[in-house]
Amino acid sequence: MKYKILTLAALIFLLGLTANAYVASASGPLTLQVLSSKTLSGTAGDFVTVQGSITNTGPQAIQGVTTYLSLSDKQTHKPVDLEDWSAEKGLYVGTIDSGTTLPLDWKIHFVTAGDYSLIIVAETIGDPIPQVSEITEFHVSPKQNLNPAEVLPVALGTPIILIFILFLIAYRRRVEE
Amino acid sequence: MIPFTIWKKELRGELYSWKSMLWLVIASLSFSLTSYLLLTNKELSLLDQTELMWLLSKVIVGIGLLVTALDAASILTVEFDKDTAENLFLAPVSLVNLILGKFLAVLTLWGAVFLVSVPYIIVTSAGSGLAIPFLTHVALLGTLGASAFTLLILGLSLLFRSGKNTITTSLIVLLALGIPATFTSTLKNDPVSQLISHINPLDAIFSSLDNVLVDYHTSILQNWQFLLPLVIFLVLSLGFLYGSSRIFMRQGVVKND
Repeated sequence: MKYKILTLAALIFLLGLTANAYVASASGPLTLQVLSSKTLSGTAGDFVTVQGSITNTGPQAIQGVTTYLSLSDKQTHKPVDLEDWSAEKGLYVGTIDSGTTLPLDWKIHFVTAGDYSLIIVAETIGDPIPQVSEITEFHVSPKQNLNPAEVLPVALGTPIILIFILFLIAYRRRVEE
Repeated sequence: MIPFTIWKKELRGELYSWKSMLWLVIASLSFSLTSYLLLTNKELSLLDQTELMWLLSKVIVGIGLLVTALDAASILTVEFDKDTAENLFLAPVSLVNLILGKFLAVLTLWGAVFLVSVPYIIVTSAGSGLAIPFLTHVALLGTLGASAFTLLILGLSLLFRSGKNTITTSLIVLLALGIPATFTSTLKNDPVSQLISHINPLDAIFSSLDNVLVDYHTSILQNWQFLLPLVIFLVLSLGFLYGSSRIFMRQGVVKND
């Protein structure tokens, strides 16, 4: 009886170790890398591309991988709604075979001036701990108007010229009559 | 020569007074407001320049078509409303020549709207390298659209013989085609919306302008799928006008209801 209890305890211990090893292998082997510059600068309205990669360094394929962006404002220390910043907030990667590296590209639209930090997050189904990339810094300068010097003369001048023509027509008609 | 005589007479009536020129000033103010706001307002100017140009092109074509529709709806029916139709049709002028003269006069108004829009097109497209495609495609698509609408509305005028009814119907037709054309692509996902979008001439105009200004597909060959519905609409409008004129001739100038 004593041996049976000891054997059962040993089996439970071994099962526990295997389960722990599985969790570690599911979250550990995923590596996220940012390939584009660590600091991206531009003017509000510009588009930049954040390039990254996700690698499965483990011996087994990992299923149900989703990656998404997390952007936060460094001044307000608040997360930023990605609605206008990126058309694709998340990328469903699916299964990543062992030793495979997949590219992750995001086209980002700089919307508002300020300093921001961006990270790529990878989440796996059944894994409670997500993987995160290094931080990419955004420095967005305020938008200069496209061409205020040229639009104002046209915006004001064209109606003024037309009004002048209008008066000219009215005058000519009066002279003719 | 007769159509040109009628054209000149109509133009003199339509453009040679300050009252009849006022709409052109208002159209110009609309372009001024649109382009100035788009180019200087911080929120709006975050739009891509090409998106901004597309928006302006829609305003130009939209105003052009509105002016054309209103003028086409009144240019022929005014003869019935003022009881001058009988005298006009008794004169040695064929119906074809009369309609051709009126058609050219209406189209000239579209030409005037386009001419006024030229400085705005040049300013907004500065630095994009798209000024020439912007000008040519607005001219081409606007002329095709304005011609088709004018022929359709002149046909309606011959059937209705009333300014009020023709203007109301023309505006409803323009709105019925214009409103779905402004829907975003997310509202055009189901097959019915896609079919309407493919056959709607106004949708074809806006989509072609998008194709040229936003996607940089500037050649005619790259826009044939949008030009085809417009050409079909033009041919159908011509057919409708032909049918209406046949009915009109059969009924006579003085209609016996």
